Amino acid sequence: MSEPEETSAGEPVATGAVPVFELDGVTKRFGGVVAVEDVAFDLRPGEVHALVGENGAGKSTLMKIVDGLYGPDEGTLEVGGEAASFSSPRDAEASGIAMIPQELDLFPELTVAENLFVGRKRPRTRWGGLDWEAMREEARKRLTALGVDLDPTSAVKRLSAAEQQIVAIARALVGEARAVIMDEPTSSLTGRETRQLFGIIGDLTAEDVGVVYISHRLEEIFEISDRITVLRDGHHIRTAQASELDAEELVRLMVGRPLNELFTRSESSPGETALEVRGLARDGQFEGVDLTLRRGEIVGLAGLVGAGRTELAQSIFGINRPDSGGIFVDGEEVRINSPQTAMQKGIFYVPEERRSQGLILPFSIKNNITLSILDRISRLGFVSRSERGIADRYMGELSIRGAGVSDPVSRLSGGNQQKVVVAKSLAREPNVLLLDEPTRGVDVGAKSEIYRLMDDLAKEGKAILLISSELEEVLSMADRVLVMREGRITGEFPRGEATQESVMTAATGGPEQEVPENE
Amino acid sequence: MSEARAQAAGTESGAGFRRYLRRPEAPALAFLVLLVVVFSVLSGKFLSVTNLEAILTSVAVLGVIALAVNQVVLCGEIDISTGSMLGLCAVAGGAAAQSIGGFVLPLLAAVAVGALCGAINGTLVTLGRIPSIIVTLGMLYALRGVILLVTGGTWITGVPNESRFLGMGNVLGLSVPVIVLFGLFVVMEVAGRHSTWGRNVYAVGGNRRAARFAGLPTDRVRFSAFVLVGVFVGVASMIYMGRAGSVQTNTGTGLELQVVAAVVIGGTSISGGRGSSLAALTGAILIGVILNGLVLIGVPGIWQQAVLGALILLAVTTDVVRRRLVGDTA
Amino acid sequence: MSAATAVLKRLRFSRELVLLGVLIALIIVMSLLSPLFFTLGNMLNTSRYFVEVGLMALGMTLIIITGGIDLSVGSNLALVSVAIGFTFAAGLPLPLAILFGLVVGMAAGFFNSVFITFLDLHPLVVTLGTFALFQGLAYGLTGARAVSNFPPWFAYFGQAYLLGAVPGQLIIFVLAVGIVWIILSRTSFGRYVYAIGNNEEAARFSGVPIRRVKVAIYTGIGLLVAIAAVIYTSRVYTARGDVGLGLELDVISAVVLGGASIYGGSGTIAGTVLGVVIIAILRNGLLLAGVPSTWQLFILGVLLLVAVFINEFFRRGEE
Repeated sequence: MSEPEETSAGEPVATGAVPVFELDGVTKRFGGVVAVEDVAFDLRPGEVHALVGENGAGKSTLMKIVDGLYGPDEGTLEVGGEAASFSSPRDAEASGIAMIPQELDLFPELTVAENLFVGRKRPRTRWGGLDWEAMREEARKRLTALGVDLDPTSAVKRLSAAEQQIVAIARALVGEARAVIMDEPTSSLTGRETRQLFGIIGDLTAEDVGVVYISHRLEEIFEISDRITVLRDGHHIRTAQASELDAEELVRLMVGRPLNELFTRSESSPGETALEVRGLARDGQFEGVDLTLRRGEIVGLAGLVGAGRTELAQSIFGINRPDSGGIFVDGEEVRINSPQTAMQKGIFYVPEERRSQGLILPFSIKNNITLSILDRISRLGFVSRSERGIADRYMGELSIRGAGVSDPVSRLSGGNQQKVVVAKSLAREPNVLLLDEPTRGVDVGAKSEIYRLMDDLAKEGKAILLISSELEEVLSMADRVLVMREGRITGEFPRGEATQESVMTAATGGPEQEVPENE
Repeated sequence: MSEARAQAAGTESGAGFRRYLRRPEAPALAFLVLLVVVFSVLSGKFLSVTNLEAILTSVAVLGVIALAVNQVVLCGEIDISTGSMLGLCAVAGGAAAQSIGGFVLPLLAAVAVGALCGAINGTLVTLGRIPSIIVTLGMLYALRGVILLVTGGTWITGVPNESRFLGMGNVLGLSVPVIVLFGLFVVMEVAGRHSTWGRNVYAVGGNRRAARFAGLPTDRVRFSAFVLVGVFVGVASMIYMGRAGSVQTNTGTGLELQVVAAVVIGGTSISGGRGSSLAALTGAILIGVILNGLVLIGVPGIWQQAVLGALILLAVTTDVVRRRLVGDTA
Repeated sequence: MSAATAVLKRLRFSRELVLLGVLIALIIVMSLLSPLFFTLGNMLNTSRYFVEVGLMALGMTLIIITGGIDLSVGSNLALVSVAIGFTFAAGLPLPLAILFGLVVGMAAGFFNSVFITFLDLHPLVVTLGTFALFQGLAYGLTGARAVSNFPPWFAYFGQAYLLGAVPGQLIIFVLAVGIVWIILSRTSFGRYVYAIGNNEEAARFSGVPIRRVKVAIYTGIGLLVAIAAVIYTSRVYTARGDVGLGLELDVISAVVLGGASIYGGSGTIAGTVLGVVIIAILRNGLLLAGVPSTWQLFILGVLLLVAVFINEFFRRGEE
């Protein structure tokens, strides 16, 4: 560590400098599940250090430890070279560590100026009351220093997403943070606003503030970071200079599997169109989406987190309503305003978040599986006793192991829980199946079982939309690959032509392309 | 360009007025002004100082309590035990007045009892983690029983005049209840704007999660709001005793609903984080004016409860509709 | 985990047994307080009182399981009572008046559900408003007047004896308990109720018709309230507007005492019935011992707080 290494800005960063904070050998478990294991991470003054990994890789857990929300089960945390132990985010803040979560944690009803001071020592007037004038001045100063012109007296709820982000950063700076952790900061920002944010980050690093940048947007990561750390399944995979990696390598590190096929998909013979979507749009989420799903085919929907894929699928399933466009089932236009309607039309959606959206944890496995078909297996409202047989059948078909059919589903492992969610959707016998990250957090064995299932379903003539952030999965399973980026479909590749590069390019705008200026 | 930037660039007065319209108490205040205009047109006597003062005096008890319950609602909780609390505080103060006389001691007794009740509420909500609706519902009935236990069913009468100062007194021509009401209003407004505690209440009610992460003592803030209600109820009970001259076992019955109605109708949001002391005061006065107006028109007093209920529903519905139209997120 | 907590934990799993134990202990205490208590006549007569609360508690159980609440049940009862009495006094044949009362009760419940489901307002504040509105309507429309000149057969609902000494309404109650129990534990509707209370979002993703279920439970309790109103009016043989005050406390206390979490997701009919009986025994015993009604309210208020506290204490201990 004696030679200075170059940052992407071209200026040497003395590596002898004490890191702003350093984690070493950190392990954290929740119940029986290991969230992170033996992870090391350090942040140097003035650097932008990107933290990447799939959902569930442990990024937010790691940062929550740094922010004082959790204590590590094993391992150490050092701040400024000295051992530190936080019992709350306030402790972390006092040590100069500020976190800006994705939800921003601002107070919408309070003004910009006040948001900067909540929980902090506020300036006081001669009479002992709060000095609003001083707070407004301070806010104005901070915002101008960040290059923005905002009215400090306006309520935060009236600001745009980008402006709220800037307020969150200003708040971190009022606390004199030496480290700022940003979690998906650009997910709601336009291209121009992202530029502005990068300018602010540059100002921060010029002041020797370290920035941890958590994001899925690879082109941004390569543009702005000095170092990149990759986590996968709670383990520290690699930390390297940004210049040493490229997008393909990064994805490979994140996903972890070599680029050979995970599963051999059968020959597909797509039939008639089961579902068609024309010009579907939802303000702020997606627009101009045309999509066709034919019987017997698996269509992969690739793209980065935040591209709008989940929102699109949920609109088709009736969870939210699109602002314009049409949905056609078997050639007829339908108005889907609730999941029940979608189910009646033969559509079913397997949600992304297994625990909060897919399962009712205190319910038994049986009751979870049959929840979607209660209306079909009830006579005069009474739940038929065939319920148990149905549940047993799916447990067998999907090889759900680890508990009995009447045990609470919370007892199962993640992979088996996912199979229960899939079973629930299959019980409905839909014609169109929308799968949102169906193998996330699932072990390899269960994964291949799910793939085989998808293959069988396609052979039976179902139409399947597979939303997945795992490139290998999409390339192995899909007959056609659609790519979404920032709410639009930016690419369509039939099976033979889809490659990692072509998909990634369409998903990110490509490493060579500039982030386009919007509006 | 967002509104905030437009505002920064816009003219002072234009932006200011439009901004004021967005304040939570604006609709209620506007409605109150409208009603005052209508009533003064309908009756020449309405706009006289004596009449206005009479209205304010009659809502003083309600207004004082509403100012405190406002704080509880602002930090995201609710308190429907104030009616029984008023009765109990009045009993304590009345007993002190009967036996010892004077004005200070009864007030202290009432406030002490009120603070104790508030502390019980606060403890059960924060430490017991019981939803405040259940706690205060239980206390509503429990306290009513305590009143009976303590008084044995007998009324407290013959309160000496000196003890009735808070309700019957006159200072510089203004009735004391009105002075107390406005005095406490000013205190709460100032506290709400200029004290850390006052601002913490808004933060805790607006986003409890973020407040906790910002290091705010959310439990202490909520606990103190409940105690504040107790203190203010104590004061209000002495105003009541002053005006009524006696304390019955059913004193205060039904008041809690009027208090919640006042807070909600005035513009404070039931979900917390949004509102003001002016909203609570406006709501209390509005209820006083409306109920008063109904009597003037000839609507029998027995309809008051129905009107109150309808007003509550109207107020919360308008709040939701307004939020949906404006597009504010929850 | 200490030995005491372990024992308590095992007991909790059989909450109904604990309640049964409490009930027996209560009966013993009450018998000691008053010799009049433990007679068959008294026991059966007590059941007259708890049928009204019990019917409403059945409906409240479903509402509380979904995480909601209904504070307007007492006022709704008053409204239905005057609807029956005063339309009858105005000339409507009593059977039709009773029917009208049932419709009014259901309409009131439906009214609540509109605000709760379509406007997404919190049940707490909606039913606080309707608590005032319904009571206000009941009282405002009738003032201090009362209707008592019902035909003799009307007393059948509230004062009759069947099979010798069994109060008529007890049979109605047992029937209602059976029906609601079957609905909650054997039908898809009941499953939906538990699903919504445990994880409304996941229920939505599974196609549970959330809106329809909520409208049904709030309208349903309106029907149960209306039936209770018929029985009540028949029992006291008078219809007036200022009744039903404080009933919601009994009803909610019974459900919570029976083991339902105030946050939703759990609760059983058996527990609720035991809760209803315990409260009725408590009230009756205290009455016989000469304790005034306000004292009873005090005890009930304290009981509610203690019950909820214990519920949540054990629930948290499990996590």
